[in-house]
Amino acid sequence: MSEKRTPFVRLAKRTDIDPKKAWLIRVASIVVALILGCIPMLFTGTNPIEAYSVIVQGSLLRPVYFRQTVKIAIPLLGCALAIAPCFKMRFWNIGAEGQITMGAMCATYFALYWVDKVPSAVLLVIMFLASLVGGGLWALIPAFFKAKWNTNETLFTLMMNYIAIGIVAWLQGGPWEGRKGSQLIPMFDDAARLPNLFGVHIGWIFVLVLVVLMHIYMNKTKQGYEIAVIGDSQNTARYAGMNVGAIIMRTMFISGAISGFVGFMTVSGANYTLYSGVADNVGFTAITVAWLSQLNAFAMIFISMLLAVISKGANTLQTRLQVPASISDIITGILLFAMLSCEFFINYRLIFRKKGEEVEA
Amino acid sequence: MKKTLALFMVALIAITSLFANGGAETTAAVADDGTRTIKVGLICIGDENDQGYTYNFIRGRDEATAILAEEGINVEWMTIYNIGEDSSCIDANIEAAEEGCEIIINNSYGFEPYMLEVVDDYPDIEFISCTNCASWNDGRENTHNAFANIYEGRYIAGVVAGMKLQEMIDNGEITPEEAVIGYVGAYSFAEVISGFTSYFLGARSVCPSVTMKVSFVGSWSDATAESDAALALIDEGCVMISQHSDNTTPATAAQSRGVYHTGYNNDMTGIAPAASLIGTRIDWGIYFSEAIRAYANGEPIPQDWCKGMAEGAVVMTPLNEAIAAPGTAEKIAEVEAALADGSLQVFDTSTFTVNGETLTHAFALDTDGDFTADSVEAVHDGAFHESEAQSAPYFTVQIDGIQWLNSAY
Repeated sequence: MSEKRTPFVRLAKRTDIDPKKAWLIRVASIVVALILGCIPMLFTGTNPIEAYSVIVQGSLLRPVYFRQTVKIAIPLLGCALAIAPCFKMRFWNIGAEGQITMGAMCATYFALYWVDKVPSAVLLVIMFLASLVGGGLWALIPAFFKAKWNTNETLFTLMMNYIAIGIVAWLQGGPWEGRKGSQLIPMFDDAARLPNLFGVHIGWIFVLVLVVLMHIYMNKTKQGYEIAVIGDSQNTARYAGMNVGAIIMRTMFISGAISGFVGFMTVSGANYTLYSGVADNVGFTAITVAWLSQLNAFAMIFISMLLAVISKGANTLQTRLQVPASISDIITGILLFAMLSCEFFINYRLIFRKKGEEVEA
Repeated sequence: MKKTLALFMVALIAITSLFANGGAETTAAVADDGTRTIKVGLICIGDENDQGYTYNFIRGRDEATAILAEEGINVEWMTIYNIGEDSSCIDANIEAAEEGCEIIINNSYGFEPYMLEVVDDYPDIEFISCTNCASWNDGRENTHNAFANIYEGRYIAGVVAGMKLQEMIDNGEITPEEAVIGYVGAYSFAEVISGFTSYFLGARSVCPSVTMKVSFVGSWSDATAESDAALALIDEGCVMISQHSDNTTPATAAQSRGVYHTGYNNDMTGIAPAASLIGTRIDWGIYFSEAIRAYANGEPIPQDWCKGMAEGAVVMTPLNEAIAAPGTAEKIAEVEAALADGSLQVFDTSTFTVNGETLTHAFALDTDGDFTADSVEAVHDGAFHESEAQSAPYFTVQIDGIQWLNSAY
């Protein structure tokens, strides 16, 4: 091969990277992202070291702030776990936002109208089950259309979000409204609220249990294996005799049910009421969490906490240093960018041309 | 791997316990020179860039600071901007409390339910919810409400609008039937209904043929929807626009179509000099200084504070003399005096009818929490007495002459 025809830089797929080394690269990319995050802070005239220390102080270094941070991380983690099987299957469910909202709505119905009928523990169980059904069925609709007519699930799940949010907005100003014209659904009775453990609603235990369950489901069960096969190749799955349509619908129901459960925890544990913004972009941010964790359930704990720290800390940043809270969005964006590009370098290597020799980078 | 994790957990626990005792200080410190410093939290739904609702609170904050500084009371403000009417409001209240605020002011109506989730955890901190109404009935000592008789200011803005319309009729620019006001409201909510009714009554007191159309936009702050609603009202023949919403877009919409406008929260004559006649706003500095002074002196903060024009809590923005009808300034002074001495009642039941009949009965307060007023007669001595039983408005009657274009909100 003559030197002329060798391109200046080439890509080659890596197949041999050590998983430990890969995780080391990922951690390094977070560090790089945090360093890059200094740039917008410098633009706003803030000392980055001071800013980062305020972020840490405002999110971790006081029990009450630590609890608030955990409260932000719970739905992120729960929803990332919900999305993981879909993404593993290469079914792009970006409708978690709507599934959370529907789960929250179904739970709220019982919180408002059954509170006098059953004892608190029973009520919470009913709300929990209702949220599973609500979120699950909402996710089943696009899955059904996908399985039956091969519709585009990305658009379909996205559109379903706005329908769900619209329904809640209507309930908020209509049948479920409290004081007329207020657009507010009344706060839940104590009986319809999740109890606290160590100052945070017990949802944190549920999501940690869910981490283990999801890890087992994805890696140790037949259903998890089916999901992985479909993700790699639908034709292979068909050839192996799997009913792809049924598996898609089943997986989406599970995913939607978990998202619905997140909605239940949010209304019953954190907000104590329902409003159209109940999902608060968790359904989208959870995609970030799931991707950055490489769909690894345990890594999601760390990533969701990281994003929660930045988000909570940014509020403190705003009140103490008058830095706009949107700085946290910028840092999150840089983080996402750095971590996704590091995946590129984990999967590929660049080969530069150099005087007849090949140099790897 | 397990070792690292364990180490990390231990470090985390050590760190958290280290800071566990860093609680908030709650006593007002008195310095050597006799000045006291009080830390006050102000939680806002927007920021001053809205040039409307939150901006008006920031003005009140700065004014109160100046008033109190002269009395030897220093106020250290912790202002938290852009908080939603959701659980982030709970977090903002906790944050303000943990940072040592002794008084925490919530500036938006929808904040109150979330604020009430926090108040019992901090019994030594005084919590104030502006424009809402739970305090008189919630059985707590450390919660407070505040509002002002903004309907007085709206009545005067209505008088200014009515004089302009009458001038246009007298000049032959419009017929008496064409004197139609378009009102951009946020929601069909007591505060809004009370506002546009008082505005309409003010206009009709000087322009008997006036009628009004109200369009609700379904948001307190949605610049585009407010503008669209104003334009739609103008298309329906309205020649005067007023608003109960947070943005300045109704004013610019009115100017772009060559009709007139009166504003709320801020002086809008700067951005719509050919349209905006006058505005009215609550001067929160009066309340803030009164509440903080009371706290500094160890006196209780009023549970349910409401004052009006006579005390300076409601003020008019400067009149746009260039386009207002002649004699408007004198008329404003006359009405202000009549409101102050009580000889003029805004909701005088002889000036309006409901389905053709005089209003003789309406309840003011909701005591059983079903969101329907069931107690305290508001109509007596020939008038509906607004904001007397509680600071937040409770006038929800639909009077004749005002057409609701939509009421879905």
